Amino acid sequence: MRYRLLLILWLLTDLLLFVSLYTLAYFLRVGWILSTDFPFDRFLFTTIITAPLWLLVLGTTRTFGLTRNQATIRNGAYIAYTALVGVALFTLAYYFRYITFFSRLLLLHALFYTFVGVWVWHILFQRFERWCLRLNPPTFPTLIIGTTREAAELIRSLNKNRNPLVPVAILDSQGNKENFIESVPIRGKLHKLEQVLAAENITHLIQCSDLEQSLNFLTACRKRRITYMLLPSTMGMVERDEWIDSVEGQPVTVVSPSLQWWHWFIR
Amino acid sequence: MLHSMQCFILAGGFATRLWPLTEKRAKPLLPLAGKPLITYLIEKIPKDLPITVSTNAVFKDAFEKWKKGMKRSVDILIEDTVQDDHKLGALGAVAQWIREKNIDDDVLLLTGDNYCGFSFEDFLHTFHGITLIAVYDIHKTDRAKLYGTVITNQNTVTGFEEKPIQPKTTLINTGASVLPSHILPILTEWAISHPDNIGGIFEELLRRKQHIECFRFSEPWFDIGSFDTYLEATTTLVGDNIISSGSISPDSKIEGSVVIGSHSQVIKSNLHNVVLFENCHITDCVLENCIIDDNSTLSHVDLTHKMIREGTILVPKGSPWET
Repeated sequence: MRYRLLLILWLLTDLLLFVSLYTLAYFLRVGWILSTDFPFDRFLFTTIITAPLWLLVLGTTRTFGLTRNQATIRNGAYIAYTALVGVALFTLAYYFRYITFFSRLLLLHALFYTFVGVWVWHILFQRFERWCLRLNPPTFPTLIIGTTREAAELIRSLNKNRNPLVPVAILDSQGNKENFIESVPIRGKLHKLEQVLAAENITHLIQCSDLEQSLNFLTACRKRRITYMLLPSTMGMVERDEWIDSVEGQPVTVVSPSLQWWHWFIR
Repeated sequence: MLHSMQCFILAGGFATRLWPLTEKRAKPLLPLAGKPLITYLIEKIPKDLPITVSTNAVFKDAFEKWKKGMKRSVDILIEDTVQDDHKLGALGAVAQWIREKNIDDDVLLLTGDNYCGFSFEDFLHTFHGITLIAVYDIHKTDRAKLYGTVITNQNTVTGFEEKPIQPKTTLINTGASVLPSHILPILTEWAISHPDNIGGIFEELLRRKQHIECFRFSEPWFDIGSFDTYLEATTTLVGDNIISSGSISPDSKIEGSVVIGSHSQVIKSNLHNVVLFENCHITDCVLENCIIDDNSTLSHVDLTHKMIREGTILVPKGSPWET
């Protein structure tokens, strides 16, 4: 419920922000008057009908994803792309409704303000959202499988960046002399899986070792509708150069060491 | 006058290395070639020997159910533990039983998760009031490192080494032993400070100048402690055969050692060295060196060297088995 409410709040504030930033662009460009060349009522009406469509496009970039980090260049690029689509949608909507084009320079202003404004807002809102989701008890308690160094690094990273996935327990097939890793308790070996999943109300499981058991973890997760994640290092991919692609509609994990930098655009 | 004898079988461990097969099942109750592992031991024990099986509270119901299927009387003794990190310890369990039941008989001590191929009649025939342990030649030094090895001078034990880095011998302690009544006080005393060190009691006996003799055998022996040893035990006992209580369609290809549990179905699949537990449905699969737990449904998948958890459903979308 906590997460759902925050998501609704985020979507509503984004809609409001889009309209507000376009309005700001209007007044900053036109001046603090109601221009007759560019009627504000028509402008506002078109902005309001464009906003939901813009939000839909923004949603397709998965920027509202639970674990998406807003403060990354990639996410910024998605928001910039969506801002551009917003301008295009506005232009089309205005033309279809009023059979005329709007001010190009004003729309450039709107483009810039929505890109910057929405990105900044997303970064700020994410901080608030993550604070809310990590409040005790956490909304997304996460079980870590494995006591490898990669597992420790993952836990450190999740906690440092205040990720909504909060590691609450660790299991390992081999057992471990330590009782904690990065302050997360090691609860024992794999035979405690069901017990821990139930006791901690686990919502996410991240597998960091014991690759041979992945099928069994998947079964357990499917039964309890838990999200299953696999760290690529479990499969030996440690260079962090893997990505997910699809081959004939089938998702695949890809590692292609021979790629040049510009292949990013055509892969 | 010969003392009478009682048998005590240790079955209290949580077998974490065989997860997920042992998630809800005690390792001694794991089916091996169609029969629970511990049943093989029970069937070999002379009929006039009272048997006590020691297990923990988590598996009480399972052992009570198993006991009903046995043709002879077995006492189930429940250790007061529910978690692996709080269990009584193997030696602690033996000592507790000796104290609580005032045992002053000779004791045939066995571990419930071992398959012993030798004759217990022969084993007991070799016992002459001196501590006797059954030893097995595992033949390979790198395998001997995983066990407690036994150093002998003909049939007299002269030393033990627990998981030695450089084994002096490939003879290993199988965990099957006969303890004469006169050493039981030593056992109960030593168990107080070493409740989990069942192998260490024999070293303690040597330290106290007690004689220990060994019984050597060449029949198969397995400590079913891992997926690989479970599979190895299955292929050794089953050979190139099928043991089936379920059904196999004529268009299936079966090779190696295959065990099909009751109410399991194999349809249009290739199986090689596979153990299916009960109520499994396998359709158009290629399985090699796999163990599939109860109530699993697999369709159009190829698996190699896997232990599959109870209730697993691996079915592509649109399949009639999809729920």
